[in-house]
Amino acid sequence: MVSAVPAAWRVAGWIFVIAIGIFLLGPLVVVIGVSLSESQFIAFPPQGLSLKWYQAVLTDERYLSSAWISLRLALLVTCAATLIGGAAAIAIHRRSLPGSQALATLFLSPLILPTIIFAIGMLMFWSAVFGPLTFLTLAIGHLMICIPYVVRTTTAVLADADPFLEEAARTMGASRLQRLWHVVVPQCLPGLAVSAFFCFNISFDEAVLSLFLRHPGLTTLPVRIYGQLEFSPDPSVAAVSSIMIGITVILLVVIDRILGIHRISAT
Amino acid sequence: MHHTAIPLLSAVALVAGATAVSAQSITINSFGGAYEEAHRACIIDPFTEATGADVQIVTAYSADAFAQLRAQKEAPQFDVIHFSGGQEIVGAQEGLLAPIDPASLENADDLYDFAKENLAAGEGPAYSIASIGLLYNTETAPQAPTAWKDLVGGVYGDRLVLTDIANGYGMLGFLMINQVSGGSIDNIQPGLDAVAGLLDDGALIVNTSPEIQQEFAQNDAVIAAYASDYAYTLRKAGLPVKFVQGVEGTPASFITVNLVAGRVNEELALKFIDISISKEAQECFANALRYTPTNATVELSEEVAADVAYGPEAVAGLIRFDPITIEANRSAWVDAWNRTIAR
Amino acid sequence: MTDRRENLILILPGLLLLCVAFFLPILRMLALSVEGEDGRTLAHFQRFLGDAFYLGVLWRTVRLSLIITFVCAVVGFPMAYIMARSSARVRLWLIVMVILPLMTSVVVRTFGWMVVLSRNGIIPELARDMGLAGRSFTLMQTESAIVIGMVQVLLPFMVLTILSVLSRIDGRLEEAARTMGCTFIQTVRAVVLPLALPGITAGAILVFTLSASSFITPSLLGGSRIQVLAASIYRSVTQTLDWPFAAAQSVILFSGILLVLIPYIRQQSRHRG
Repeated sequence: MVSAVPAAWRVAGWIFVIAIGIFLLGPLVVVIGVSLSESQFIAFPPQGLSLKWYQAVLTDERYLSSAWISLRLALLVTCAATLIGGAAAIAIHRRSLPGSQALATLFLSPLILPTIIFAIGMLMFWSAVFGPLTFLTLAIGHLMICIPYVVRTTTAVLADADPFLEEAARTMGASRLQRLWHVVVPQCLPGLAVSAFFCFNISFDEAVLSLFLRHPGLTTLPVRIYGQLEFSPDPSVAAVSSIMIGITVILLVVIDRILGIHRISAT
Repeated sequence: MHHTAIPLLSAVALVAGATAVSAQSITINSFGGAYEEAHRACIIDPFTEATGADVQIVTAYSADAFAQLRAQKEAPQFDVIHFSGGQEIVGAQEGLLAPIDPASLENADDLYDFAKENLAAGEGPAYSIASIGLLYNTETAPQAPTAWKDLVGGVYGDRLVLTDIANGYGMLGFLMINQVSGGSIDNIQPGLDAVAGLLDDGALIVNTSPEIQQEFAQNDAVIAAYASDYAYTLRKAGLPVKFVQGVEGTPASFITVNLVAGRVNEELALKFIDISISKEAQECFANALRYTPTNATVELSEEVAADVAYGPEAVAGLIRFDPITIEANRSAWVDAWNRTIAR
Repeated sequence: MTDRRENLILILPGLLLLCVAFFLPILRMLALSVEGEDGRTLAHFQRFLGDAFYLGVLWRTVRLSLIITFVCAVVGFPMAYIMARSSARVRLWLIVMVILPLMTSVVVRTFGWMVVLSRNGIIPELARDMGLAGRSFTLMQTESAIVIGMVQVLLPFMVLTILSVLSRIDGRLEEAARTMGCTFIQTVRAVVLPLALPGITAGAILVFTLSASSFITPSLLGGSRIQVLAASIYRSVTQTLDWPFAAAQSVILFSGILLVLIPYIRQQSRHRG
């Protein structure tokens, strides 16, 4: 393995990590604190300790149904985006298509425009061509803002992959599909895993498209939280966020136990 | 590519669109949270009981709902749409809203005249009014305000919260500050100058109501110009907040219920609007959220009446800045406002 | 089947989707930017470009995005390097730490910052106690607040992108450098940094574009007194209802970002070509 890092740098590294940890997690600690408050309004430090906001959230039909919608949406979007974006990234990376650099930039464009413009454009376009909004409208909208992440991250990973591996497989007589599946896809895997994570998070937390492309029965969790904040700002929104924080941690650990996330970025 | 893709997408859309709503149902917007709960109890449930029809709710505030309505011009999803920021005027001008014949509403006669002025143009009736006044913290404010003039007196310094005029209530509060500073609806410069002075003293500007709550709960803000119903929301949340009407007058923000053009369920939608303006619904709304009713026959308890403008006289005392002028100037005003407040 | 055909098949679904579900709707919207009351006009662009106020908004957007990107890169590279060199277990928890901020609703997360940064918040109080600031000192509604809040959410994009590249670097390269007498820092600078460059570039592009086009965090933490372009666009769409002007501002934002990205893209083409 790599030769030992000098002790001084090791200590500096830990101090650095702790500082970043405080920076990243401090505000979240505040949120969790608020969620435990007894008071009716959002305030920190919390006044009194109680789990009543958790109870309120977990028994609220509307929060639950919104969470279910957001979850389904995020899963669908993550799978589709990883597949479509991953395939595009491989094609762009191989550079056999004319203007692959231009193509790479093209795939980035949904990130460059504020989502509000895309949301309004999508709404106008969809209702002019297809009429009423459906679950699919929002899914496609989310897909469009997720694919860029997949393409970006996967091409970055492929840029450092060994280009001769595929050539070697070809020489040894592997078919196109075999080469793709056994050589190229494993090379993409770290990128795909990271992008899947981005996609899931983005779709789950996305509010602007969800705000404008919603229709009855399609209120995602972030939109539900906005509504709650506007007219009854109480710590239940903090409780929802704390639950999401908890679920993320548990999910990551469980996935790691089963699939080994840490192996994805193993050296 | 264009030609092959669209039929393909349409096919997918058809499959996914199987959730099409039955004819015995209407789609409306409501504003979420406690408002939506009251809306359900006071209007939606009675409507469903009376007609057997289903109500589909989209939680959307006025500005977002209007953006959706305009973008979906070709295939609107709403049958009835509620606005609180004057959007019905633009909507009516652009033909997005349908005119209403007062004869088709049983309860129209009970409404104060101002609430049903422009039905023929397409602006729906006002079913409640949010009155804009001064919210202050009864425990920590150095002095209880009585007039709009008190805001600009420099007493509150950096503990004053102003609302951006991009917010409908913020616009009305600003016009009032403008008026007591010597301006008029044709000249907002005195108001802008006053705001610039307040900002120099450290006043904060927020965009949304949750931020007002946070400033009060978290940052010892003591006074803000905002709506009476929000004072009630804050009080319910346990903050010692009181609402007072400034002696110079109380600007009113109309909450309207509008009929969307180009939909098939017009009869049901009208029935819904009719129930919205009924005596029972408005009493219920005033009790639940402290909105001022627009139906002259409404009867309120003393406790509730104290929080709203109640009775013909009080209602007549409400100031309504000419909404047409506001709409015509909104863009220019917001622009001038942005320049004034920009750091 | 030729190579080209195989690649065409791979890219086609994404490309088709991009054209039909993104470019058609966007063009529909952007077309508004040249629409006037009587025919085509460039008036909306003139209004923006001829006005120091809006140019200031544009400049602030670009400047803040560059600062945010820079901070993310400076913090993100060592972070990713530490992750890459940590044991699997530690790495997992560091990954969890970095992405947790992304999993909270933006409004609630912003409230967290408000508690920390506003007048009665932890940092301003500390500054007051140490005699560094006056009573009304606050970090809320300042450009610093925007940078802090944006770095918190965008850092994972930088860190994870760099990490995915770093983890492919052969550890023996570093080993070799050390054997040949390089110090630790020299090794990082001469071996790790150049190899990580594609990751840093990809991360920087993500972070830059995301920060230039986001508006919820900037408008909540910066307030309406410090406007960025995306927030101004949002206002034009929902509040002043001036969609043609919103479209014009979007075209300008789009071109602005593209202008900044072109050197990056060029450099990357060279790097890979």
